[in-house]
Amino acid sequence: MTTVAVLAALLAGAYAVAVLEAWARTGRMRPGGPLFAAAALIGRESFVPRKPDRLFFEAAPVLLLVAAVLAAAVLPWAPGLVIVDLATGALFVNAAFAYVLVALIMAGWGPDGAYAMVGGWRFLGQLIGYSMLIVMPITAVAMRAESLVTTVIVDSQAGVWNIVYQPLGFVLFFIAAMALAFLPPFDLPTAPGELAGGVEAEYAGRRLAVLRLARALLVVAVALATTVFYLGGWRGPWLPPWAWTGLKTLAVAAAMFALGGRLPRVREAHFLAWCWKLGIPLALLNIFVVGLLVLAVP
Amino acid sequence: MIHGARRGAWSGLRRLTARAQAQMLAAIVVPGPEVAAALGLDLAGAGLLPAASPRHASVLVVAGALPAQLREAAAVLYAQMMRPRAVMALGAGTLAPLPGADVVAELSQPALLDAVRRLRRAIAGGAFRRDAAGFDAPVLRSRTEYVCPMHPEVVRDEPGSCPKCGMTLVPREAQDEGGHAPDAVDASTGMEMEAGRGGGESAYTCPMHPEVVRDEPGSCPKCGMTLVPREAQDEGGHAPDAVDASTGMEMEAGRGGGESAYTCPMHPEVVRDEPGSCPKCGMTLVPRAAAAKDAPEAGHAADAASEAAGGRHAPMDPSGAEHSAAAHTGMDHGAMDHVAGHSTFMSMVAVTRDLPRSPDGLPMDWIEVPFGPLFPGLPGGLSLVLTLDGDTVAGAAAQAPVAAAAAAVADAGGRGLPAAEFARRLGAMDPLAPVAYRLLARRALECAAGVEPDSRGARARAGAAERERLASHLAWLAVFLGRLGLEVHARRSWGLAASMRGADAARIAGLAAAVRVLVRGVRRTPLLETRLAGIGRLAADGRLRGPVARAAGVAADGRVGDPVYGALGFEPVTRPDGDARARLAVRLDEIEQSLRLVRAAGVLDDSGVPGIGAASGTGEALVETPRGGARLAVSVERGRVTAARLDTPSTVLLERIGSLVAQCELGDALTAVASLDLSPWEVVA
Amino acid sequence: MHAQTFFIAFFGLAAVWFGVAVFRTSSMVRSALALLFSQTAIGAMFLAMQTEFLGVLQIMMMATEMSIMAIFMVMYMMDPGGLGAMEMTHQKRFSIAAGAIGGGAALAVAVLTPWGPVVAQAPAAAQQTRALGLELLGRSMLVFETAGVTILTAMIAATAVAVRRREGKAAR
Repeated sequence: MTTVAVLAALLAGAYAVAVLEAWARTGRMRPGGPLFAAAALIGRESFVPRKPDRLFFEAAPVLLLVAAVLAAAVLPWAPGLVIVDLATGALFVNAAFAYVLVALIMAGWGPDGAYAMVGGWRFLGQLIGYSMLIVMPITAVAMRAESLVTTVIVDSQAGVWNIVYQPLGFVLFFIAAMALAFLPPFDLPTAPGELAGGVEAEYAGRRLAVLRLARALLVVAVALATTVFYLGGWRGPWLPPWAWTGLKTLAVAAAMFALGGRLPRVREAHFLAWCWKLGIPLALLNIFVVGLLVLAVP
Repeated sequence: MIHGARRGAWSGLRRLTARAQAQMLAAIVVPGPEVAAALGLDLAGAGLLPAASPRHASVLVVAGALPAQLREAAAVLYAQMMRPRAVMALGAGTLAPLPGADVVAELSQPALLDAVRRLRRAIAGGAFRRDAAGFDAPVLRSRTEYVCPMHPEVVRDEPGSCPKCGMTLVPREAQDEGGHAPDAVDASTGMEMEAGRGGGESAYTCPMHPEVVRDEPGSCPKCGMTLVPREAQDEGGHAPDAVDASTGMEMEAGRGGGESAYTCPMHPEVVRDEPGSCPKCGMTLVPRAAAAKDAPEAGHAADAASEAAGGRHAPMDPSGAEHSAAAHTGMDHGAMDHVAGHSTFMSMVAVTRDLPRSPDGLPMDWIEVPFGPLFPGLPGGLSLVLTLDGDTVAGAAAQAPVAAAAAAVADAGGRGLPAAEFARRLGAMDPLAPVAYRLLARRALECAAGVEPDSRGARARAGAAERERLASHLAWLAVFLGRLGLEVHARRSWGLAASMRGADAARIAGLAAAVRVLVRGVRRTPLLETRLAGIGRLAADGRLRGPVARAAGVAADGRVGDPVYGALGFEPVTRPDGDARARLAVRLDEIEQSLRLVRAAGVLDDSGVPGIGAASGTGEALVETPRGGARLAVSVERGRVTAARLDTPSTVLLERIGSLVAQCELGDALTAVASLDLSPWEVVA
Repeated sequence: MHAQTFFIAFFGLAAVWFGVAVFRTSSMVRSALALLFSQTAIGAMFLAMQTEFLGVLQIMMMATEMSIMAIFMVMYMMDPGGLGAMEMTHQKRFSIAAGAIGGGAALAVAVLTPWGPVVAQAPAAAQQTRALGLELLGRSMLVFETAGVTILTAMIAATAVAVRRREGKAAR
């Protein structure tokens, strides 16, 4: 029952995210847009390129979908409303997100096309930049909660949300989460106008529909993770807990889209330089400061 | 939509999806969105969504007449699109080899709006048909090429041996034809396909397992899917789901016939009658070309059209380079033999020793990737082939296949064209700057005839030229911002660029506020300057012109010293850096400057033909087109142009692309090329 | 208990199967990813054996590591796409011998070690994580820190060596 409820919430979130993404791209809010897009994609031809690595080509969208759902499976929507409340939840989120990279490499390699391949390997380069900035801020979050359990992490923010307690960690995690979900301006693996869709270039019809759904779920998962780790999860007055989680998650996703639409796509070299020369020292500083706070303010 | 529809009967679900597809029209524009904008079309404003790749597009919009080379490229593009797909022709003449247009309209925004409405109806009612036919064109099937199994970059039109390793070249397309020949239904050309159908031979095969072939309908013994009639698979530019099996070497290795010889990819002197591994290096032996011909590939469904559509010749080709192309470039066998002689273990250091090496010292596999001539994000008509070393550009070959137009105009003079006709042709040469080139012809002719232009007319023509600059810069801005991912600004820029066409001074004054808001918005975009700094640096020299030269600190501007512009209060804009950032800044400044100049000019008019009567003489003129100064020298005899010499700014830019993108990251290289605002139409060969 | 045995066996077989796939394929990338999924299956075995932290850690680390290995294989190996049906095996006799000895040794350890009485119930996952943390920051700290700093030194040294050589080349 809980599983069904959470999956329904994830699908609803993916739908809302698709509406938001179309809004960010076209400037128009069309509540029915994703339905039309999905119906149109299902009716279109799907296609396997000439010399594909068929296994990779077919498996990649599914793996992306599975990675996003697994990451969301350990994140609570409300007390008790979580698929698995793992003792290592905060670590498991990282593990599931790591397979986004594997899925994109497979999607890039599979179709045997240069644009897709460059897109896939580009994402590996991107990972070198963002991965530490996912893990290290979560470390600081776990330090405050003194637990890796996601529900305990939400409870640890009963007084002050982590966005206030460790704003630096929030900013770093937010940016890294955008890079993880390859949202603009970090959309290097897809890069419309540069790689003709990159890893998406050879997918069409129902396969593209799965890929797009997986991507939308991934955005929901990273937004939900941001909510749980930094925005107090389900905490909030008046509304029921799940509503707060949903609202905060959508707000995070909307903020990501709004920010992405206003920034030019980063250059891979710049992104790596910023992540390693600025991001990682700041993340270490964040861990240090949070450590001091945890010791000083019991 | 006979070539564009999916084969099949209507059902409730299909009706639903057809209606949804009619709402979500993703368009790919030929020759390019910048040409469409110059023709006054705002595609986003008409409800057409941009498509990143032809695979995602459902409409091919043809804006204006296409030269023959681009029609062929467009046919390949069409073949790459997924069905249901449609062609919308706006003011286009001949379309062949493209199929006939599903919707025809004239070139104007109201006509476009109406055409989109009709297209939606056509797709909603015609996305599926029982009699849908395949699309075939000579450009899709006439590519039989010969390729070296070891050096995929070696591609020849004729059989022979590889210049690098001496192996016999393997025919690429011929493999399939040979494999399919026994089966009439499965043959690769349209004619044979028809013949097969006429004969009533129907074979049923599984969409997933092409090796399953039955005489009767039923389901696949392997996966249980319903078998489909064989011809249905072969219908189109790409066989849906059927292009399943690879046609490459692996298959040959597995299935090679008895008379094949097997050889080592690394050691051509090793030849065996049976499969196995090389005694020198341990690699699996591959069959030689003899095997390729005999490889029994019956039941392997793929047709020539799909081959070409997915093949390396496609101009905008997402699967353009293959992984095979990623294999060893230029390996030297002398070195290999030396190494392998005393060891059966291949040392990578030795193997890669003679690979071409980029300055970073990493020996890597190089692949050639085609961009263009119809690549979204590059000017339509510009064909760029980049050799990629990882994601670094090791080399580039840039061509302008549409440049024939410019050459034709340049030597048209030889045939003694009437002056008015010459001016008309020059104006039609570059769809991105017709006004500037008409003006150029007029000035040169007037100079040759010794006619003094009237000052009011000159002022109006300067105004019209500035309007064109405004439209051109805005369209460039839209392309450039779009490829940087700033889609909101890009969309506004497209709309403004399109509405500049034919606008009078009052209308432009009305749009000025919106243009200024856009320019300010772009200038204030965070990180944009950092993003662009240092990309595509070109040092100023005598030959660079236009905004590219002005961005490198040289006030090279045909308008300097022109009394008409002097009266309008013109001052050239320059920036020192010479990179993409400076080019953006210069063009943004010039957009504002052109707004001021248009207002100062008051009237905009470039109508009328140069009246030079029956004068004779020679004349020369320089006009600052949106891309820089273009020069024209003409000889006129009794009112007819007998000789003309044209020099355009894009010609110089095209030559520079190679050095401009060398050793850049791929994204930076494409940004650098886009920042030039090169018009392939005006390139003089 | 039966479910646990089943899952351990299932993931164990999956790990072996993917491990075999590493050498049965002719594509570098497939080979690398088969190794990745083999390691993931081992991580899943850890999970089935109720060692949650180690399992999740293994699953997480391998995804990134093997992907990076894949790109290095593609960069430096010839024929990454498998066009020439490249064999993934070489020095076969030595490899077989090494594999047999290694497998035998592992089996011997598994069989010959006196494991003591079987623990009926593993401590709760949170308890394990805590114990692991105390171990890492207590008795084993010196070992891990030494190893970590050594690796870091090696990495910096390697980078330094590479950079100096390239500058020298440019100067020439």
